[in-house]
Amino acid sequence: MIFAGIDIGSLTSKCVIIDENKILAYEISRVTPKIEDVAEMVYRNALMKANLSEKDVKVVIATGYGRNKVKFAKDRVTEITCHALGAKYLIPTTRTVIDIGGQDSKVIAVSNNVESFVMNDKCAAGTGRFLEVMASALGVEVSELGELDKKAEKSVSISSTCTVFAESEVISYLASGEKVENIVAGVHNAIASRIAAMAKRVGVKPDVVLTGGVAKNSGVKRALEKELGLEIKVPEEPQIIGALGAALIAKVRYADSRGKSEG
Amino acid sequence: MRVGYFCTFTPKELIEAAGFSPFRILAKESITGIANAHIQSYSCSQARGSLERALRAELQLEGVIFTRSCDTLMRLADIWERNTKMRVYNFEFPTRVDEKSKDFLISEIRDLATTLKLWGGDITLQSLKESIELYKELEKKLEELFSIKPDYELILRVQEMSVKEALKMIKVPQKERDKPKVLITGSVCPFLNVFKLFEEVGFAIKDDLCTGTRFFSFKYPEIDINSIEDGFRYLAEKYLYKAECPTKHYERERRFRRILELSKDCNGVIFLLMKFCDPHFFDYPQLKEELEEMGKKTMLLEIEFPAVSLEQLRTRLEAFYEVISC
Ligand SMILES: Nc1ncnc2c1ncn2[C@@H]1O[C@H](COP(=O)(O)OP(=O)(O)O)[C@@H](O)[C@H]1O
Repeated sequence: MIFAGIDIGSLTSKCVIIDENKILAYEISRVTPKIEDVAEMVYRNALMKANLSEKDVKVVIATGYGRNKVKFAKDRVTEITCHALGAKYLIPTTRTVIDIGGQDSKVIAVSNNVESFVMNDKCAAGTGRFLEVMASALGVEVSELGELDKKAEKSVSISSTCTVFAESEVISYLASGEKVENIVAGVHNAIASRIAAMAKRVGVKPDVVLTGGVAKNSGVKRALEKELGLEIKVPEEPQIIGALGAALIAKVRYADSRGKSEG
Repeated sequence: MRVGYFCTFTPKELIEAAGFSPFRILAKESITGIANAHIQSYSCSQARGSLERALRAELQLEGVIFTRSCDTLMRLADIWERNTKMRVYNFEFPTRVDEKSKDFLISEIRDLATTLKLWGGDITLQSLKESIELYKELEKKLEELFSIKPDYELILRVQEMSVKEALKMIKVPQKERDKPKVLITGSVCPFLNVFKLFEEVGFAIKDDLCTGTRFFSFKYPEIDINSIEDGFRYLAEKYLYKAECPTKHYERERRFRRILELSKDCNGVIFLLMKFCDPHFFDYPQLKEELEEMGKKTMLLEIEFPAVSLEQLRTRLEAFYEVISC
C-alpha cells in the first residue's frame, strides 16, 4: 500500500512516497508563487520516480507553509508534528528536533509525540534566508558554505543578530581583507548561537536531530554542536523529513479509517 | 463627552457618575508612523498604537486618565500631555495591593473626583450610587455571558461607551459543542482576528486578558453607600480586589493562584504576550513552570499590533492543537 506526504515550504517543495515499510522515492523542487501547480508537479515527479501513478496512492497528507493550498491532500498537518514524526521514524532515539528551513526555524521536544516547541520570530535571523544573504555577500553558493567552514583557521565575530546589520558586518570584514572561510565560520557561529538560545527555551535532550535544508550545511552542524555541547545527528536527506512525517501520518490515517469501517 | 482611560484599574464608575462616558483607549489598525517621532520603538505596540491614534486625531476625548501600572504607560502620560491638546491626569493606583494601601487609594479616588469636577463633571451621591449599581450589573452580566461563550467583539465595544448603553447590548449566547479548551493569558488584545483564529483552529477559549475577563472580574465589598465618601471607600475596596495584573504586587501570589485556578478545566494555556511587555514577560518563566507542574501544556505567542503575520500565528496554534489533542 502506498502513501504520500507533501511539504510545501517557503523555498522548496518536497514529496515523499512510502509503502508500509520503506521510502520508495522522493522529490525536491523550488517553490514558485503558484503553489497549486508546484504541489501537483512535485507529487507527479515523485510518483514517476517510484514508477507509480496517483491511483496507487491511498492517502496524501500535506504539510508546510503552503499546506492549505494542496487541494488533493486528504488532510493538513503542521510541519512541527511532521518533522517530529519523520525524525523519530529515521532515528528512534530522537528527543529534540531542530529544523532550519528557508524562512523559519523551530526546535521541537519529542517523546512519543510533540511535547513542546518554539518557532523563530518574523525576521530572517536564524533561518536559511540568513545564510543565503551572507553567501551572496561573500560571493559563494550556500552549498559551498560547509566546505569553506572546514578550512577556517579562526572565526570572526558577528555581533548583530539582524540580517541586514550582519550583512554589513560581513561586507566590512571583506573590505578589511579577512579570509572568506573565517567569515563563513563566524556566520555559522552567529546562526548557531541564535538557534541555541531558542533550543534552550524548549530544553535540549539528546538525541538531537537536525532537519531542513540548512542541515545539509556541515558548518551549521559544527557550530551548533559546539554551542550546545553535544553531538547532533543529521538524517541522510534532512530536507525531506517534513514530507516523510506527512507520509507516515497518511499511513496512520489510512489504518485508522480501515479500523473504523471494519469495527 | 468622553473621558479616555487605558487601564482596568481606573474606577470608571467615577467617570460615569461625573456625567462623562468612559472610553477605553486601545491600539487599532493604523501602523505606527507619526508616533515614532515621539516614542521609542521598543515600547509595546499598545502604547505606540494608542499614541498614533491620538496624533492622527482619531480620538475625540475631553481628557485622559492614566494609571500607575507599567513604566511605559506612566511615561506615555507625559508624551501625551506634551503632544496632544487633551487634558491628562495621573491616577496613582498603588503598586502594592493590600489592606495597607486602602487609605491611600481612597485619597486618590477623592482627588480623581475633584479633577473630574474641574473638567466639568459633578459627582453627586445619587449619580455615584447609580453608576456603581449599573457597573455591577454590567459586570455580572458579562461574567455570565463569558462563562457560556466569550464574545470579544461585544466586550471591546462596551468599553467604548457609557454603562447604560453597554447594558442594552448584552445578549446571552448559545452554548458551544465540546472542543479542546485553552486559557489565553496576557495584557490587551483589541484585535478580533486573533480570537477568530483560535476559533478557526478549533479551540474553545477562556481568558485572563485585560480586554477580556479582567475587565469585569471583581469581588464586591459589603458597604452601604450613604455618602459620597462611602462610595469612594466602596470603589477602593472593589478595585483592590479586582482580577490581578502583573504590574502589581500582591500578597500570597494572588495573581498566580487565579491563573492556576482558571486553567483547571483547560487543556492548555497560551501566553499571548505583547512584544516588550515587561511585566508579563518577567512573570512568564515562573508561571509557565507552575502550570506545567500542574500538567498543563503551555505555549508562548509573542504578538505585535496591528496583528498582521496571522499565518505564522495559525501554524503555531494548529501545532499546539495537534499537541494537546493527541
Ligand atoms: N546543498 C545545500 N547546502 C547548504 N544549504 C542548503 C543546501 N540546500 C538547501 N540549503 C539551505 O536550505 C534552505 C531551504 O531549506 P528548506 O528546508 O527546503 O526550506 P523550506 O522548507 O522553508 O522551503 C535554503 O535557504 C538553504 O540555505
